[in-house]
Amino acid sequence: MPTLNPTHRAVPSVVPAGELRVLTVDEIKASANNPRLLFDPPQLIELKKNIAEHGVLVPITVFQPKGQSQFSILDGERRFRCVVDLTNENHVGKDGKPIRIPANIVEPPSLIAGMLYMFSIHNFRASWELMPTALSLKIVMEELGVTDNAALNKLTGLSEPQIGRCKTLLEFPERFQKLSLDPDPKTRVPSNFWIEALPVIDLAVDKIANVGALGRDGATDKLVGKYRDNKIKSVIHFRRIMESYDLAEGNPAQEAKVIRRVEQFFLNPALETRAAFDEFVVEKKRVQSAIGACEGFISQLKKFKLAHTSDEDERKSLSEALRQVRDYCNSLEQALIGSDDPEVTH
Amino acid sequence: MWKYFHLLRAVVRFHDYNPQRVSMSSVARWMKQFKSKGDLRLACSLLEKVIYFSETETKRILHRQNEALIEDLQKAGLPTKKLIYLQTDDAGSSSPTMLGILRNSAGLEQRGCKLLDGRDAMGITAETRKREQGAIIYIDDFVGSGQQFERARNFAQQSVVGTFSEFLLVPSICEEGYTKLTKMGVTVYSGHIHSKAERPLHDHSHLMTGNDRAKLTALCKEIRKNSALGYENMATMVVIYRNAPNSIPAVLRGSDKQEPFYGLFPRFKDLPIKKL
Repeated sequence: MPTLNPTHRAVPSVVPAGELRVLTVDEIKASANNPRLLFDPPQLIELKKNIAEHGVLVPITVFQPKGQSQFSILDGERRFRCVVDLTNENHVGKDGKPIRIPANIVEPPSLIAGMLYMFSIHNFRASWELMPTALSLKIVMEELGVTDNAALNKLTGLSEPQIGRCKTLLEFPERFQKLSLDPDPKTRVPSNFWIEALPVIDLAVDKIANVGALGRDGATDKLVGKYRDNKIKSVIHFRRIMESYDLAEGNPAQEAKVIRRVEQFFLNPALETRAAFDEFVVEKKRVQSAIGACEGFISQLKKFKLAHTSDEDERKSLSEALRQVRDYCNSLEQALIGSDDPEVTH
Repeated sequence: MWKYFHLLRAVVRFHDYNPQRVSMSSVARWMKQFKSKGDLRLACSLLEKVIYFSETETKRILHRQNEALIEDLQKAGLPTKKLIYLQTDDAGSSSPTMLGILRNSAGLEQRGCKLLDGRDAMGITAETRKREQGAIIYIDDFVGSGQQFERARNFAQQSVVGTFSEFLLVPSICEEGYTKLTKMGVTVYSGHIHSKAERPLHDHSHLMTGNDRAKLTALCKEIRKNSALGYENMATMVVIYRNAPNSIPAVLRGSDKQEPFYGLFPRFKDLPIKKL
């Protein structure tokens, strides 16, 4: 169980009911999340092989919600999943009976303990919409009074950039959040829409009086309308707006031109993103130059043959310099993440 | 003579079918479409096997099952204020209608239960968070394969926080759906589990001879080429007063827009649009 800053309330842990039982798969309830998406297949195959040979050696942890005859899993979803597969394949244990699972029975977990388990499952999930995760994170933050990204990372297992993205989603009013919780994927606004739109909204509200007059929600409504009308064909296209603005920096005439275009973009429902901003972005050349710079950097470093540097101070300085490079590269890599598809979690 | 017996019996049994009135003339019109006496006899014997849930019967089952569930949950330590009833479909469709019926007949709100739309993710999160533990009770009038239910339930579940047991209240459920839901850990409270053996046109049923089944199946294929025996060839025989499931054989459901084949139990969306 993750530890917390002593000033925070302790995370409630599970309370054992003091019973170890051997259960059949029918006595256990699968997680509501789609198991096929939950776990990495090669790892699961390896575990399955192991269970087929030796059975389940480490007990899973289960509890029984009030009124329910089956046990819900608190820890051991993968072991359970493997046994279900093996049972479906008519595999039996050494005693010739269906494989059974040793299980520690614990009391139903508290709200927070249950949520933290949910996070541990979701972290295995290949494809998961970010908005429900953000709402769960909000509850964790409110219940435990923890808002620091590093502490939340320890508690939930979500990466810090993921936590940052969740927090971005939570900045939007509920009525916008609801648009990303639409059960119909055809009408659902992807969570990434809000993450990509936020800097554009900030820019427009801050720099353009006519957009500022609409207020943040009014400006957001304009973008939602454009997205629904397919005038924002991909949420990634928001980046072209910010790129246009960043590239115009230091050139007042160009900057004014971009700002005027941003104003038109917000106020003219028919104006499509790429049609409005492509002229300001010369992306290919810059990206190619950056790729060339990366290759050149690595090849130069290799030439210096630094692996056996022995001087203590030099080694420290070099490590520090490399750390700075790595931090910048990591932040750039994180910034490049984004798509119209559901957020990918690792 | 036997024709009139079936005609009268159909009118009495199915008198309150909502999408299209089952009257003397509608049954007579349905019967006239069969080319031979043999086909008509087969169709009538199929009609005999329809398991019909009238409005009264549906309400009675829902109410009884709900009372039994509430009692069981109270014994397990869950008072009614810990219960959340979820509709799993759009307004106007079966699930909200059933929930509406139960809300009034069982006084759910007066008893402190919460009624929610299964698509209201924020509402589900807020209410489950408030209660921390309890039971989620889904409601519908019929579950076939369970796939549609599974989608709706999985969507709702991603917003649930806390520990909640899950139940489904449903007047009738197919054995396929029952198995699926049991595997999912959803406990079913139902008045009727519709077995494959009860479905004359299902491969696992012996209610008809193979020859008769083949004849009727061929007839169904003429009416609806791609869904002759209904969704996933389930060939179900349950008809609920407010709408037939999409898994009934085509000879009972009829063609799209009821042309060329007029069905006795068309679904609402099978009916031609009436000109005002």
